[in-house]
Amino acid sequence: MSHVVVLDNEAVQALGDTSHPKHARVVSHLQVVAQRKRKALPIRVVVPTTVRVEAGWDRSSSEWAFANRLRIGDVSLDGTHANVAAAIRSLTLVSVADAHLGSVMRACAADRITVLTSDDDDMRRIADPVPIIVVHI
Amino acid sequence: MADFEDVIDAINKALDSADTSTANTSMRIPTALRDAAAMVVNELGAAPSTTALTSSAMRSAIEAIAMQAVLDNHYRNHPSTRPSLADLAIAAAELDGHPLAAHHDRIRSAALEIVERHPNADSDDVLLWAEARMLSTA
Repeated sequence: MSHVVVLDNEAVQALGDTSHPKHARVVSHLQVVAQRKRKALPIRVVVPTTVRVEAGWDRSSSEWAFANRLRIGDVSLDGTHANVAAAIRSLTLVSVADAHLGSVMRACAADRITVLTSDDDDMRRIADPVPIIVVHI
Repeated sequence: MADFEDVIDAINKALDSADTSTANTSMRIPTALRDAAAMVVNELGAAPSTTALTSSAMRSAIEAIAMQAVLDNHYRNHPSTRPSLADLAIAAAELDGHPLAAHHDRIRSAALEIVERHPNADSDDVLLWAEARMLSTA
Protein backbone atom coordinates (compact mmCIF):
# COMPACT_ATOMS: atom_id res chain seq x y z
CA MET A 1 0.00 0.00 0.00
CA SER A 2 1.60 3.28 -1.11
CA HIS A 3 1.51 6.09 1.43
CA VAL A 4 2.22 9.79 1.02
CA VAL A 5 2.64 12.12 4.00
CA VAL A 6 2.08 15.81 3.27
CA LEU A 7 3.34 18.65 5.46
CA ASP A 8 1.45 21.89 6.00
CA ASN A 9 2.88 25.24 7.03
CA GLU A 10 3.05 24.64 10.77
CA ALA A 11 4.44 21.13 10.34
CA VAL A 12 7.27 22.62 8.27
CA GLN A 13 7.89 25.39 10.78
CA ALA A 14 7.94 22.87 13.63
CA LEU A 15 10.35 20.64 11.73
CA GLY A 16 12.73 23.48 11.00
CA ASP A 17 12.97 24.84 14.54
CA THR A 18 14.20 22.65 17.39
CA SER A 19 12.72 25.10 19.90
CA HIS A 20 9.25 24.90 18.34
CA PRO A 21 6.86 23.26 20.82
CA LYS A 22 5.76 20.75 18.18
CA HIS A 23 9.22 19.92 16.81
CA ALA A 24 9.56 16.58 18.61
CA ARG A 25 6.06 15.57 17.60
CA VAL A 26 6.74 16.14 13.89
CA VAL A 27 10.08 14.35 14.22
CA SER A 28 8.33 11.34 15.74
CA HIS A 29 6.18 11.03 12.62
CA LEU A 30 9.21 11.27 10.38
CA GLN A 31 10.92 8.62 12.51
CA VAL A 32 8.01 6.27 11.78
CA VAL A 33 8.39 7.07 8.08
CA ALA A 34 12.10 6.20 8.31
CA GLN A 35 11.35 2.91 10.04
CA ARG A 36 8.84 2.00 7.36
CA LYS A 37 11.31 2.85 4.64
CA ARG A 38 13.77 0.46 6.31
CA LYS A 39 11.05 -2.18 6.00
CA ALA A 40 10.86 -1.37 2.27
CA LEU A 41 7.31 -0.04 2.59
CA PRO A 42 6.42 2.49 -0.13
CA ILE A 43 6.10 5.69 1.89
CA ARG A 44 7.36 9.21 1.19
CA VAL A 45 7.02 12.71 2.59
CA VAL A 46 6.25 15.69 0.37
CA VAL A 47 5.75 19.41 0.74
CA PRO A 48 4.02 21.74 -1.73
CA THR A 49 6.49 24.44 -2.77
CA THR A 50 4.09 27.24 -1.83
CA VAL A 51 3.90 25.80 1.68
CA ARG A 52 7.67 26.04 1.77
CA VAL A 53 7.39 29.70 0.75
CA GLU A 54 4.82 30.40 3.46
CA ALA A 55 6.92 28.64 6.09
CA GLY A 56 10.14 30.28 4.96
CA TRP A 57 11.87 27.00 4.07
CA ASP A 58 14.75 27.97 1.83
CA ARG A 59 16.56 24.82 0.73
CA SER A 60 19.71 26.81 0.04
CA SER A 61 19.85 28.04 3.63
CA SER A 62 21.94 26.23 6.23
CA GLU A 63 19.25 27.08 8.78
CA TRP A 64 17.14 24.37 7.16
CA ALA A 65 19.91 21.77 6.95
CA PHE A 66 18.09 19.18 9.06
CA ALA A 67 14.89 19.34 7.00
CA ASN A 68 16.88 19.46 3.76
CA ARG A 69 18.65 16.21 4.56
CA LEU A 70 15.47 14.23 5.24
CA ARG A 71 14.68 13.86 1.53
CA ILE A 72 11.26 15.50 1.75
CA GLY A 73 10.11 15.94 -1.83
CA ASP A 74 8.92 19.20 -3.36
CA VAL A 75 5.65 19.29 -5.29
CA SER A 76 5.80 22.32 -7.54
CA LEU A 77 2.92 24.59 -8.45
CA ASP A 78 2.80 23.72 -12.15
CA GLY A 79 -0.03 24.67 -14.50
CA THR A 80 -2.23 21.74 -13.60
CA HIS A 81 -1.87 22.27 -9.86
CA ALA A 82 -2.44 26.02 -10.35
CA ASN A 83 -5.78 25.37 -12.03
CA VAL A 84 -6.99 23.04 -9.29
CA ALA A 85 -5.63 25.32 -6.58
CA ALA A 86 -7.40 28.32 -8.10
CA ALA A 87 -10.70 26.43 -8.04
CA ILE A 88 -10.13 25.37 -4.42
CA ARG A 89 -9.26 28.91 -3.37
CA SER A 90 -12.31 30.35 -5.09
CA LEU A 91 -14.53 27.85 -3.35
CA THR A 92 -13.01 27.84 0.13
CA LEU A 93 -11.13 31.16 0.47
CA VAL A 94 -8.10 29.38 1.91
CA SER A 95 -4.56 30.69 1.44
CA VAL A 96 -2.64 30.06 -1.79
CA ALA A 97 -0.42 27.58 0.04
CA ASP A 98 -3.39 25.64 1.41
CA ALA A 99 -5.06 25.66 -2.01
CA HIS A 100 -1.88 24.20 -3.49
CA LEU A 101 -1.82 21.67 -0.68
CA GLY A 102 -5.37 20.69 -1.60
CA SER A 103 -4.44 20.25 -5.24
CA VAL A 104 -1.50 18.05 -4.23
CA MET A 105 -3.75 15.80 -2.16
CA ARG A 106 -6.40 15.64 -4.87
CA ALA A 107 -3.85 14.65 -7.51
CA CYS A 108 -2.05 12.15 -5.31
CA ALA A 109 -2.30 8.58 -6.60
CA ALA A 110 -1.18 6.97 -3.35
CA ASP A 111 -3.41 4.45 -1.61
CA ARG A 112 -3.17 6.42 1.62
CA ILE A 113 -2.66 10.16 2.12
CA THR A 114 -1.86 11.65 5.52
CA VAL A 115 -1.43 15.34 6.22
CA LEU A 116 0.36 16.74 9.26
CA THR A 117 -1.40 19.98 10.07
CA SER A 118 -2.66 22.35 12.71
CA ASP A 119 -5.77 23.11 10.70
CA ASP A 120 -7.82 19.91 10.53
CA ASP A 121 -11.06 21.30 9.14
CA ASP A 122 -9.46 23.23 6.30
CA MET A 123 -7.49 20.16 5.23
CA ARG A 124 -10.64 18.07 4.92
CA ARG A 125 -12.38 20.83 2.97
CA ILE A 126 -9.58 21.36 0.48
CA ALA A 127 -8.98 17.64 -0.12
CA ASP A 128 -12.64 16.79 -0.59
CA PRO A 129 -13.66 14.41 -2.17
CA VAL A 130 -10.33 12.62 -1.75
CA PRO A 131 -10.22 10.72 1.57
CA ILE A 132 -7.30 11.76 3.73
CA ILE A 133 -6.02 11.07 7.21
CA VAL A 134 -5.55 14.25 9.20
CA VAL A 135 -2.96 14.30 11.97
CA HIS A 136 -3.31 17.30 14.23
CA ILE A 137 0.11 18.41 15.37
CA MET B 1 36.94 10.41 8.39
CA ALA B 2 34.70 12.66 6.30
CA ASP B 3 32.34 15.10 7.97
CA PHE B 4 28.92 13.51 8.58
CA GLU B 5 26.95 16.34 7.00
CA ASP B 6 29.20 16.32 3.92
CA VAL B 7 28.68 12.58 3.50
CA ILE B 8 24.89 12.87 3.77
CA ASP B 9 24.84 15.80 1.35
CA ALA B 10 26.97 13.84 -1.12
CA ILE B 11 24.67 10.82 -0.85
CA ASN B 12 21.58 12.96 -1.39
CA LYS B 13 23.23 14.75 -4.32
CA ALA B 14 24.02 11.40 -5.94
CA LEU B 15 20.47 10.14 -5.37
CA ASP B 16 19.03 13.31 -6.93
CA SER B 17 21.42 13.33 -9.87
CA ALA B 18 19.86 13.52 -13.32
CA ASP B 19 22.90 11.73 -14.72
CA THR B 20 21.58 8.59 -16.44
CA SER B 21 24.93 7.19 -17.41
CA THR B 22 25.54 3.62 -16.27
CA ALA B 23 28.54 1.64 -15.16
CA ASN B 24 29.41 -2.03 -15.12
CA THR B 25 30.24 -3.25 -11.67
CA SER B 26 32.08 -6.24 -10.37
CA MET B 27 29.60 -6.70 -7.53
CA ARG B 28 29.30 -10.32 -6.50
CA ILE B 29 25.92 -11.57 -5.32
CA PRO B 30 24.80 -15.08 -4.41
CA THR B 31 23.95 -17.11 -7.52
CA ALA B 32 20.63 -18.22 -6.02
CA LEU B 33 19.66 -14.59 -5.38
CA ARG B 34 20.53 -13.69 -8.97
CA ASP B 35 18.33 -16.58 -10.18
CA ALA B 36 15.44 -15.50 -7.93
CA ALA B 37 15.74 -11.96 -9.24
CA ALA B 38 15.65 -13.18 -12.82
CA MET B 39 12.48 -15.18 -12.09
CA VAL B 40 10.57 -12.33 -10.45
CA VAL B 41 11.47 -10.15 -13.43
CA ASN B 42 10.81 -12.67 -16.19
CA GLU B 43 7.95 -14.66 -14.69
CA LEU B 44 6.22 -12.17 -12.39
CA GLY B 45 6.96 -8.95 -14.28
CA ALA B 46 8.12 -7.26 -11.10
CA ALA B 47 10.45 -4.89 -12.96
CA PRO B 48 11.61 -4.25 -16.53
CA SER B 49 14.94 -5.95 -15.82
CA THR B 50 17.03 -7.34 -13.02
CA THR B 51 19.17 -4.22 -13.30
CA ALA B 52 16.10 -2.03 -12.74
CA LEU B 53 15.01 -4.24 -9.86
CA THR B 54 18.41 -4.05 -8.22
CA SER B 55 18.76 -0.31 -8.76
CA SER B 56 15.31 0.39 -7.33
CA ALA B 57 15.93 -1.76 -4.26
CA MET B 58 19.34 -0.19 -3.73
CA ARG B 59 17.94 3.35 -4.04
CA SER B 60 15.21 2.62 -1.50
CA ALA B 61 17.68 1.09 0.92
CA ILE B 62 20.11 4.01 0.60
CA GLU B 63 17.33 6.56 1.10
CA ALA B 64 16.15 4.77 4.23
CA ILE B 65 19.65 4.42 5.68
CA ALA B 66 20.46 8.08 4.97
CA MET B 67 17.20 9.31 6.51
CA GLN B 68 17.77 7.26 9.66
CA ALA B 69 21.36 8.49 9.88
CA VAL B 70 20.16 12.10 9.71
CA LEU B 71 17.58 11.46 12.44
CA ASP B 72 20.12 9.65 14.66
CA ASN B 73 22.52 12.57 14.27
CA HIS B 74 19.71 14.95 15.21
CA TYR B 75 19.00 12.92 18.35
CA ARG B 76 22.67 13.06 19.31
CA ASN B 77 22.67 16.84 18.95
CA HIS B 78 19.21 17.33 20.49
CA PRO B 79 18.53 14.40 22.84
CA SER B 80 15.17 15.78 23.95
CA THR B 81 13.80 15.30 20.44
CA ARG B 82 14.32 11.53 20.46
CA PRO B 83 10.84 9.98 20.47
CA SER B 84 9.98 7.31 23.02
CA LEU B 85 8.44 3.99 22.03
CA ALA B 86 5.05 5.37 23.03
CA ASP B 87 5.60 8.51 20.93
CA LEU B 88 6.41 6.34 17.92
CA ALA B 89 3.39 4.12 18.46
CA ILE B 90 1.15 7.19 18.66
CA ALA B 91 2.71 8.60 15.51
CA ALA B 92 2.28 5.29 13.69
CA ALA B 93 -1.37 5.10 14.74
CA GLU B 94 -1.98 8.67 13.63
CA LEU B 95 -0.29 8.25 10.26
CA ASP B 96 -2.50 5.25 9.52
CA GLY B 97 -5.73 6.61 10.95
CA HIS B 98 -5.75 3.69 13.40
CA PRO B 99 -8.83 3.54 15.68
CA LEU B 100 -6.56 3.94 18.71
CA ALA B 101 -4.94 7.10 17.36
CA ALA B 102 -7.09 9.31 19.55
CA HIS B 103 -6.36 7.26 22.68
CA HIS B 104 -2.85 8.33 23.55
CA ASP B 105 -3.22 7.18 27.14
CA ARG B 106 -3.99 3.62 26.10
CA ILE B 107 -1.06 3.55 23.73
CA ARG B 108 1.28 4.91 26.40
CA SER B 109 0.07 2.28 28.87
CA ALA B 110 0.56 -0.45 26.28
CA ALA B 111 4.08 0.78 25.57
CA LEU B 112 4.96 0.58 29.27
CA GLU B 113 3.47 -2.90 29.60
CA ILE B 114 4.94 -4.47 26.50
CA VAL B 115 8.57 -3.53 27.15
CA GLU B 116 8.42 -5.44 30.43
CA ARG B 117 7.88 -8.65 28.47
CA HIS B 118 9.40 -7.70 25.13
CA PRO B 119 12.22 -5.17 25.54
CA ASN B 120 12.76 -4.99 21.77
CA ALA B 121 9.13 -4.27 20.91
CA ASP B 122 8.55 -1.71 18.17
CA SER B 123 5.71 0.72 17.58
CA ASP B 124 3.64 -1.82 15.63
CA ASP B 125 3.96 -4.26 18.54
CA VAL B 126 2.69 -1.57 20.91
CA LEU B 127 -0.36 -0.94 18.77
CA LEU B 128 -1.15 -4.64 18.56
CA TRP B 129 -0.78 -4.91 22.33
CA ALA B 130 -3.01 -1.90 22.89
CA GLU B 131 -5.62 -3.25 20.50
CA ALA B 132 -5.59 -6.66 22.19
CA ARG B 133 -5.93 -5.03 25.61
CA MET B 134 -8.85 -2.97 24.39
CA LEU B 135 -10.62 -6.04 22.98
CA SER B 136 -10.06 -8.05 26.15
CA THR B 137 -11.66 -5.35 28.27
CA ALA B 138 -14.54 -4.65 25.87
